[in-house]
Amino acid sequence: MTSPVRIGELIRDRRIIVCCGAGGVGKTTTAAAMSLAAARAGRKVLVLTIDPSRRLAETLGVSRNPPEPVRVPEDRQRAAGIKAPGSLDAWMLDPKLVADGAVRRLTKSPEDAERILSNRIYQQVSTMVAGMHEYTAMEALFRLVHEGRYDLVVLDTPPSRHALDFLEAPHRLSGLVDSRAISAFLPRADSLVGRAASRVIQAILSAVFGSDFAEEFVSFLTTFTSIFRSLNVDVGEMRRFLSGPDVAFLLVSSPALATLAEAYFFQDKTKELDLPFRGFVLNRSRAASAERSMPPLEVPGDAVLSAGLGKLHALAELEQHAALRDRALLDELKKRAGDTATAISLPELPQGADDIATLVAVADRLAAS
Amino acid sequence: MLITGKGGVGRSVVTAALAKIAAKRGRRVLVTEIGDESDDYSPLARHFARARLPKQPEPMEPNIEGAVLLARTGQEMFLKSVLRSGTIARAALSSDALRRLLSAGPSFREMGVFFQLLTYLREKRGAGSAYETILVDMPATGHALSLTGLPELLLRLVPKGPIADSLREGQGYLNDPKLAAAWVVTLPETLPVSECLELIEGLTKTKMPVGGVLVNRVPADPFTEAERAALLPLIEQNAWLGAEQFQKPLLSRREIARLRANTALPIFTTPELPHEGLVDELVRVLDVAKPMPLPVGGA
Repeated sequence: MTSPVRIGELIRDRRIIVCCGAGGVGKTTTAAAMSLAAARAGRKVLVLTIDPSRRLAETLGVSRNPPEPVRVPEDRQRAAGIKAPGSLDAWMLDPKLVADGAVRRLTKSPEDAERILSNRIYQQVSTMVAGMHEYTAMEALFRLVHEGRYDLVVLDTPPSRHALDFLEAPHRLSGLVDSRAISAFLPRADSLVGRAASRVIQAILSAVFGSDFAEEFVSFLTTFTSIFRSLNVDVGEMRRFLSGPDVAFLLVSSPALATLAEAYFFQDKTKELDLPFRGFVLNRSRAASAERSMPPLEVPGDAVLSAGLGKLHALAELEQHAALRDRALLDELKKRAGDTATAISLPELPQGADDIATLVAVADRLAAS
Repeated sequence: MLITGKGGVGRSVVTAALAKIAAKRGRRVLVTEIGDESDDYSPLARHFARARLPKQPEPMEPNIEGAVLLARTGQEMFLKSVLRSGTIARAALSSDALRRLLSAGPSFREMGVFFQLLTYLREKRGAGSAYETILVDMPATGHALSLTGLPELLLRLVPKGPIADSLREGQGYLNDPKLAAAWVVTLPETLPVSECLELIEGLTKTKMPVGGVLVNRVPADPFTEAERAALLPLIEQNAWLGAEQFQKPLLSRREIARLRANTALPIFTTPELPHEGLVDELVRVLDVAKPMPLPVGGA
């Protein structure tokens, strides 16, 4: 029997925490609070996210889309109670910039890199290659962890309909750059069958794009994929790296039925892929209000107040119902988590997490969980 | 009508409700959502008592047909129309290489979805359009923008040829405010309102006409001013249940006011319903209280 998993411990001793979840469950806020908690505990932390709301960038006082991670300004860090040796950096990733960076690193010479970066197809659609967002996030994570600048990197996975896209998408990209897929589009002389097949495909491309553009397109694909071919290795390597003991996967969910169904599916999938699933974070839970008392039904002698209390009582009953439901939900998540994972809940933040104080409050809860 | 908005705001139930309202008004409706080959989970289909939407339009209810928009389906339709032969298209698509290219190649997935939608826009039945109102439940914000931004982006690259022709034809439907509109669904809360305003900005940049905003789950305020004033000090002193619900209408009013201050678009509201996904109730509320203007449609 392993000892029960605690979120507070994950925050203090893991090197990578991956926050997954469907869109709209408060994943970015959870990831930010998680990184804040770790920095407050004295660790050097980076929170990595793609396309977050402006508000989080504003709260942390960092610009959006810088080319490299940026330090959260000293006054904000102080306000958040972060003291040396702890520190907090944030990187709101721009997929285009990360893709450009990958091209520069993977090409043999600056001239090669320039040739690709200036290709007009590359400029327009490099980020519309399916899986590019997910790949860029993975790539940045992999590189930053290897550089060893941080004790902990918290990754907020790209917004998508499915929590699983993050794990699946890089495969699409590696499928594309697999040499077999691309060679079919290039003129070939190796065999009669090969020549015939590539002629058919080129005829199709010309019919679809028009012959001028088809040529340009094939030349783009050739250069792009020869660059990203090394990625085939990376995707496998990243998977292994993400299965390691330094890593924890957390699934953020809301009490909505649809996101819960997804959460269970995600847990099964991580098992199947042998990834270290370590817990559910049930966001926007109203479970805590079950502790509160019901308002009185009336105050004799005060008609206005009594009328108000009567209405408040009806609202209180709704709240109580929701609280009990969310509490039962957390119990079920705990049961599902088993011995190797945990489940915690975070309260609904009706004002949103748009100030440091709120984030710190969430961070404290996480650290104590 | 493209129904957009971030996850968790009730976009699918709104899409379903609008479809049912349009059908009740006697329009031939096609309700669609952008799907994903890797799994067939459909939040929209639930409101039509189905587990998923069919790949080709099928009747769901009187006057309503439904179909899922899939990159793959649209790509196949496109290849068939360009190559003028189903056999060659199918043969081409059975090539592993082409399949991989189409599933990951730059903007090919969006192109597939775009073309499938275009096919339904074109479709005739008798003298008129097969579908007078087509609704698209658009997934995450980023996906919505990559679809509405697709024609501009690709036309810069591929100014002529069959792709360009389809893109221009599609633009003719989507960018004409008399024919099409995107609607943004949001909640009366801080973050959703901010993201809604960003989405409006993004859609406008892609030349997509925005019909308006639908603020979903607006909490009812049962209290009179006098009752509020009497309750407030007591609520601040006591940790009572009901306090959050008491405050919620105030936050909601503030956020709707912020929305109004930042956009000139029409804003509709729907009340908070006691359970998730009460589509019939939403239909009643939307239809009776505030009739939503449906685009004239049917070119």
